[in-house]
Amino acid sequence: MTQDGLGTGSGAATGAQSRAAVLLRDLHKTVAVGFLRRQVEILRGVDLVVDRGDVFGLLGPNGAGKTTTVKVALGLMRPTSGSVQLGVEGLGRVGYLPENPYFYDYLSGREFLGFCARLFGLDAGARHERVEELLRDVSLVDAAGTHLRKYSKGMLQRIGIAQALINDPELVLLDEPMTGLDPVGRVEVKHIIERLHERGKTVMFNSHILSDVHELCSRIAIMRSGRVIWQGTVDEALDEAPSLEDFFMKVVTA
Amino acid sequence: MLRRVVAIVVVVACAAGVVAFQVSRPARAPANPRVFVPSPRFFLDFSPSFRTSIADVYYLYMVQYYGEHVTGDGKLDSLPAMVRLVTELSPHFTRAYLFGAFALMDAQQPGVSYEILKHGFEANPGNWRFPAYLGFFVYAFASNKDKDRIAADWYTKAAAIPESPAYLQRLAAVLLGKGGETGKAIQMWGQVYAAGDKFSREKAVAGLERILPTSKQARMKAVAPLYDTMPRQEFEALTAELFKGYAP
Amino acid sequence: MKQLLAITINTFKETIRDRVLAVIVVFALLMIAGGLWLGSISLGEQGRMIKDFGLVAVSGFGLIVAVFVAASLVHKEVEKRTVFVLFSKPVSRAAFIAGKFIGLCGTMAVVLAGMGLFLFALVWIVAGEASGMVLLAVLMIYVQLLAVVAVTIFFSTMGSAILAAVLGICVFVAGQLSHNVLALTRLGKNPLTEALSWVVYVIVPNFSAVDVKAGAVGEQTLAWGQIGLWTAYILAYVVVVLALAALVFRRKEF
Repeated sequence: MTQDGLGTGSGAATGAQSRAAVLLRDLHKTVAVGFLRRQVEILRGVDLVVDRGDVFGLLGPNGAGKTTTVKVALGLMRPTSGSVQLGVEGLGRVGYLPENPYFYDYLSGREFLGFCARLFGLDAGARHERVEELLRDVSLVDAAGTHLRKYSKGMLQRIGIAQALINDPELVLLDEPMTGLDPVGRVEVKHIIERLHERGKTVMFNSHILSDVHELCSRIAIMRSGRVIWQGTVDEALDEAPSLEDFFMKVVTA
Repeated sequence: MLRRVVAIVVVVACAAGVVAFQVSRPARAPANPRVFVPSPRFFLDFSPSFRTSIADVYYLYMVQYYGEHVTGDGKLDSLPAMVRLVTELSPHFTRAYLFGAFALMDAQQPGVSYEILKHGFEANPGNWRFPAYLGFFVYAFASNKDKDRIAADWYTKAAAIPESPAYLQRLAAVLLGKGGETGKAIQMWGQVYAAGDKFSREKAVAGLERILPTSKQARMKAVAPLYDTMPRQEFEALTAELFKGYAP
Repeated sequence: MKQLLAITINTFKETIRDRVLAVIVVFALLMIAGGLWLGSISLGEQGRMIKDFGLVAVSGFGLIVAVFVAASLVHKEVEKRTVFVLFSKPVSRAAFIAGKFIGLCGTMAVVLAGMGLFLFALVWIVAGEASGMVLLAVLMIYVQLLAVVAVTIFFSTMGSAILAAVLGICVFVAGQLSHNVLALTRLGKNPLTEALSWVVYVIVPNFSAVDVKAGAVGEQTLAWGQIGLWTAYILAYVVVVLALAALVFRRKEF
């Protein structure tokens, strides 16, 4: 990884050796909040392993530190201590959909995807092809020429997924991918995630919708107050409680 | 309901008060003949990039100030300072010198006019208008016995500058010649008319009206010599103005 | 390099479509036309008045456009969180800063060219003078504004957009008075104030070294060598400031 600000601590490993797509060890993150720069510890020692080819669910109550964990993994934030290792060759092989995404108002859907494709260094022919393909995948072909300013939340979410996949990434990180989507949209996204899984990609997403997690994920982790308090397979979770909701409540309120 | 009515009444009353106050201000602020004009030093220390713009602002102010006072109370106390400021900030602003010189003449300060024109000539040695006007001012206002000669010197200097009009030399000759005072004055004003813009022309016509005879025959005789010393177009324009009210 | 190009084009599209820009340009045109009125009360000095006040208007409105757009460029991305989309891709912080700058320079060029050509035409029509000096003066104003844009972008990486805008304007004004600071350094009364003056003198861009406006109205003859040297100085200044901005921005977290 040669991106600015990414990977401190014990150094970044190359993908070849480890089976893990994401390996976070004892991550701590403290931020200075407010005028008086009060120190607040958001991550208090996060240990997380996401295997290659998994569909991984990151769960937890609001404020648990899920989004921060993802941001530190991507290098958008630097950890105060601990290490981050991504089992891919740099951000060129990663796709990310932030929570409540916001994009450039003044660009059309097609222009925006073209811009993202450019950022990955795709040449003109490959760009065009890829953009059209993704527009079909997320059913936005008709709206592709409209300015993003006029998109509904659901449409923004879909273009967000499209931009996360524009570079055909090995590792896809999605923050609340189902928000704002109608039932049809949710089914489409689920299909997209399933297809990614079939092609051997690693997908990690945060979600509050446990039924989706149950349907799609093989492994999950539950966070609370800046720590991962449980990690394992969905089956293991369902051994200990009748449903995923019950298991979640049990773990989080313990 | 009542509260709303009270609120509206209060707002309307305030609005009325605002309008009434403004309307009741005196119609025109007393025209102060003495206006604060900062010294050039103040502006010269400022950015060179905006010096000419500041000069322009004061130039416009000067023109306005002159227009306001010359026909009113006739007090042009701040005019010299303004002219100095504009010309120091923008030494190549020819019009400012020339306007200033004539305006100062109206302000009964021909000596200052002379100084201003001399500075102008120093800053713009290639501009024949300066020595030409200097000649005029010497002739019109100096009280030395040999002013004709000094004026002629200026005209000769002017004539020596490349691209100056031919009649300047002739004017020098006229001055050194034996003609009467009125005759020479007519020649001077003719030259001012020929060299000047609208403002100078107005001054020239006014100056000629003061010294020319009123009867048509005499007037024509007095103006005739200008035919030789003025460019044709300007001569015709001048005679048109001087003989405007006369029967053909 | 490709990322730099992508961000440059994107920034150009973003800023040139900004409707606020159009309003400012209209105002500038109105002001220049105001010079016409001024010319009419100036006893025949229309040409000079229009040139002088027109150039002041170009300077002033160019400054407003430069400062307010530059200040919001970086700030908007951070505030609207489009930075997440951007920096989760292989985009260097330096390319981001440089792309923003160059994109805005493109837009500024269009705006100033428009105003400059309009002024040139106005002078030609009203005073019958095809004044190439006016165009040169506008070009020099453009070069000055490049430095202002760079400084504003630098300040905007550090915090509030409004503060960056205000500081940008201050730097422009300070630059006009640069020769005064030089005079201070030569007073020699106190070694401390002298040293301080030197520091300020070097840091503030020198906008008083070459005055093309005076040349446009006939007050100065211009040496091409001088103009060339000054332009090179400003470009070097821009490079240094942008490098500093990139450095500050590297440390930023989102």
